[in-house]
Amino acid sequence: MSSETPLLKVENVVKHFPIHGGLFSRQVASVKAVSDISFELKRGETLGLVGESGCGKSTLGRCLIRLIEPTSGKIIFKGEDITHVDDNRMRDLRRKMQIIFQDPYASLNPRMTIGAILEEPLIIHNLYPVEKERAERVQELIKLVGLRPEHLSRYPHEFSGGQRQRVGIARALAVNPEIIICDEPVSALDVSIQAQVINLLMELQQKLGLTYIFIAHDLKVVEHVSTKVAVMYLGQIVEFAEADELYKNPLHPYTKALLSAIPIPDPKPRPERIILTGDVPSPIAPPPGCYFNPRCPMASVECTQIKPELEEKSPGHFARCIKVPATI
Amino acid sequence: MSETLLEVTNLRTRYKTDDGNIFPVDDISFRVKKGQTLGIVGESGCGKSQTALSIMRLIQKPGEIVSGDVQFKGESLLKKTEDEMRDILGNQMAMIFQEPMTSLNPVYTIGDQIEESIRLHQKGLTNLQIKNKAIDMLKLVGIPAADKRYHEYPHQLSGGMRQRVMIAMAMSCTPQLLIADEPTTALDVTIQAQILDLMRKVQKEFQAGMILITHDLGVVAEMCQDVIVMYAGKIVEYGTVEDIFYRPKHPYTKGLLDSIPHFETGSRMKQLNTIPGLVPSLYNLPVGCRFQERCKFAQEDCRRAEPNLENLRGIHKVACYHPVQSEGGN
Repeated sequence: MSSETPLLKVENVVKHFPIHGGLFSRQVASVKAVSDISFELKRGETLGLVGESGCGKSTLGRCLIRLIEPTSGKIIFKGEDITHVDDNRMRDLRRKMQIIFQDPYASLNPRMTIGAILEEPLIIHNLYPVEKERAERVQELIKLVGLRPEHLSRYPHEFSGGQRQRVGIARALAVNPEIIICDEPVSALDVSIQAQVINLLMELQQKLGLTYIFIAHDLKVVEHVSTKVAVMYLGQIVEFAEADELYKNPLHPYTKALLSAIPIPDPKPRPERIILTGDVPSPIAPPPGCYFNPRCPMASVECTQIKPELEEKSPGHFARCIKVPATI
Repeated sequence: MSETLLEVTNLRTRYKTDDGNIFPVDDISFRVKKGQTLGIVGESGCGKSQTALSIMRLIQKPGEIVSGDVQFKGESLLKKTEDEMRDILGNQMAMIFQEPMTSLNPVYTIGDQIEESIRLHQKGLTNLQIKNKAIDMLKLVGIPAADKRYHEYPHQLSGGMRQRVMIAMAMSCTPQLLIADEPTTALDVTIQAQILDLMRKVQKEFQAGMILITHDLGVVAEMCQDVIVMYAGKIVEYGTVEDIFYRPKHPYTKGLLDSIPHFETGSRMKQLNTIPGLVPSLYNLPVGCRFQERCKFAQEDCRRAEPNLENLRGIHKVACYHPVQSEGGN
């Protein structure tokens, strides 16, 4: 957490998916999945990306390592603009940028043994050319995530969801990455198993000095793991702050509603809760003005006219809302 | 006190398979009163959905109910004929499923689907009356422009709207017992809050009893009066929501409560408490307590014989030889 230059810098990243239609398959509209996202991340930090389904958090995560090509904007990794580098360079860079997927059932090849799954990235990146050393590395990896070497000869179907997610984590760690995008890594798991995987991720972060981008819809999990949190709504960041600050002092009405909607495991009666009406609007035709205005309990006429900017409302605390007064 | 609506006693459901017999519902007893919500919690594979299906006699081959009884309004459901059961299901007893996408028929309009149960169970209504009733139900569950939505197909609605349609269908014959199997698991938090609020409202309006199956302890705390904690087909703890959350006695209940991340500042980097290991396979259960391998309090006696569900205070029961000493009441 010492180095001054950010490990990852994201500037105005936009992703629009074109929709083709009509007689000549012209582009008739676009899904505005991610609009104008900027942030910086230092080594050793964890950025939590939260939001409801369809808010663009996974698309953003994939844009960052160019599994999806961003429409515009810049992604700067360790001072290098990687937005337009060629495939060869990108392959080298992916050694440093790995991803863990949500579904531990779909993200492991059912025909490969766990050993082969863990060995593959090492072969692709030509990391341990001597077979014996490679085998040793694979053994080391499986132990690192709390599984046993005898598991290496088994196939994914022989494992439970939590164990498979451990294999997914080991595969991401194989190439010694510096940043890992965790795309809903625990949402498919049972509560008691969730806690095991979260503990493992945090332990590995400390041991290996990893930087995480942690994408999740569960605000409690995000609070637990993150140093910074970005709340997304319809492709935009609506609030961004240090994790403690954001949870203690949420500014944007959407963040407030999200926090208030979480069922708390305590039967004590709770103060009034903000229940939002309606659904998330379509990202093909977002509403005019503030994207949140049709569901916002604070919305007024100007909210349908002015597109709010992400402004610093108090030191280090950004929100995209014209109703929130700035205190600096 | 209010009257008992459903009473389940020593229910056992067996699946006969090539690998042996398993009992996903093993000696389950509980009671649901009118206007009351009972929560069933547990992790995947603990038998909570199988319990619900057993109550409604929807268990499919190779499964069958082998012993016990299900009394609904004082009559045994296990003695009913198929025809009598069909009359009860969807009419006096209704179910809301987890996946609103797969539990609605994609080739019928939502209007048709709501009408179907009204048509089946409320004989003697004219087509217009049926249609009006269906639209009223859609309005009741808060679907905007209900008379327009009536003609739409499930794929035209969002997940939250579909779940509202499911609730409208379930409530259309004013059932006395509602069984909701993970009704909000597939939904986003803000939509979940809407649906839970709606379910509470509808339940109050009809004074229905409800069984709410979920793995989310937060939902349980908000919705339920009584709670059952299940583990590997058995009830390990049963009590009021205060008993379970403030005075948990079973190490599994305690473990579940401790493993959820709580909202507290500065909690980062603190280790979450975990329950080590995995749920045992129903084909290969240990001798004695089913939780012993994951339990930090396990001793010799836990490995000898399975603990019975013992009465504590009120309705609070626990199946454990070495219950957790809770840190005083609340």
